[in-house]
Amino acid sequence: MEVEPFLFNIVVLSLFVNIAMSLYGVFVRPSLIKKIISLTIFSDTINTLVIVVGFRHAIPNPIPPVVIEIPPPPQYLRQFVLQAVDPLPQALVLTAIVIGLAVLLFLMFTTLQIYRIYGTTDVRKISRLRG
Amino acid sequence: MGNTLQVVIIISLTLMVIGLAMVLAMGGFGFTVPPSSVRSLATIFLNTTFNLDTKYRYVSAMSPEAVTAIVWDYRGLDTLFETSVMFIAIVGALAISRGASEKLLKGFSKTRGGMSLIVKTITRIIIVMIASVGLSITLHGHLTPGGGFQGGATIAVAPMLLIITFSIYLFSKMITVSKAVTLRSIGLIGIALSAFIVLIIAILHGDLAYIFQNQPKLYSHYGLPSYAEVMVLGGTLLLFNTFETLAVAFGFTALFILFILPEEVVKDIIKGEE
Repeated sequence: MEVEPFLFNIVVLSLFVNIAMSLYGVFVRPSLIKKIISLTIFSDTINTLVIVVGFRHAIPNPIPPVVIEIPPPPQYLRQFVLQAVDPLPQALVLTAIVIGLAVLLFLMFTTLQIYRIYGTTDVRKISRLRG
Repeated sequence: MGNTLQVVIIISLTLMVIGLAMVLAMGGFGFTVPPSSVRSLATIFLNTTFNLDTKYRYVSAMSPEAVTAIVWDYRGLDTLFETSVMFIAIVGALAISRGASEKLLKGFSKTRGGMSLIVKTITRIIIVMIASVGLSITLHGHLTPGGGFQGGATIAVAPMLLIITFSIYLFSKMITVSKAVTLRSIGLIGIALSAFIVLIIAILHGDLAYIFQNQPKLYSHYGLPSYAEVMVLGGTLLLFNTFETLAVAFGFTALFILFILPEEVVKDIIKGEE
């Protein structure tokens, strides 16, 4: 087996394993804090996976989608299109990260209020509460 | 949680990993190695992101950085709604805090807390560095990787550091929740105005333009200056990035203040009136 596909598949497979482990944390751990940590790992893994999907193989190496020569001569632009990676997944992930941060803070606020009012973050105890 | 359920969850998650690995191996994602070509959509983006050629002049975003061009030009409306998602998350957190604010600290007028002199001095130096790095990320958003979101999230680290080193009592004398929320609203209003600015310019000239228009298009020859011989100005991208930084940084600042309020201060508010 060639080395390059092997290493690439190892990376993608480890992301899959990461997804499974973070989902296990969300499903099984009773503490809300642990659930939120697992959820953060999950979203970060998905973001990395999206970036990997936008990656490309280029000779000699892929470059970031930034035009460096200004004004760009047509020759440079032709080479740029042949080498630059896909910018669309990066643009999607960029906003997803900040929104993830805002949602994370919202979840933390909710958990903090639950802890202040009920004195626990254990979902088994919270689900038994009435009123 | 029963032991059986836990075993079932572990087995199903293992099966999920094996299934995803199968999909990858059979080429379900469209690749098993990084492909040597990008999608045709990406080719269009890369070709038109900064192109002075007359053929591409009216479809180009005139920003050397393709990611910022996509975020605020090609898919500008998309990003506007993503900003509104963040807006709603922050509003939800503010609502959950039930009106708790730094006013509660008035009763506790002592300026206790805070770390030692060494930490405070180092923080004073670091804050300037963080702010300048964040501003540079923002203002070069149309030239180098970066932009409003990243710059804002970087600057939002500064108030967090200040709160931890100087204690919330001292920090709330500098920036209050209402001040932070006001600055954040100014940022959001600026984003809304930037979306309409080309239309406003066109109406002043007695013509019409598109909403979220950046560069001159085929049927509407108005646009903000973007390229003036060697200088790349970025058109509306620069405005969007600046206002987005304001909105993100101060939105997070307001949340951090509410998050760090001491327990004994908010206890009365949390219990609420029955």
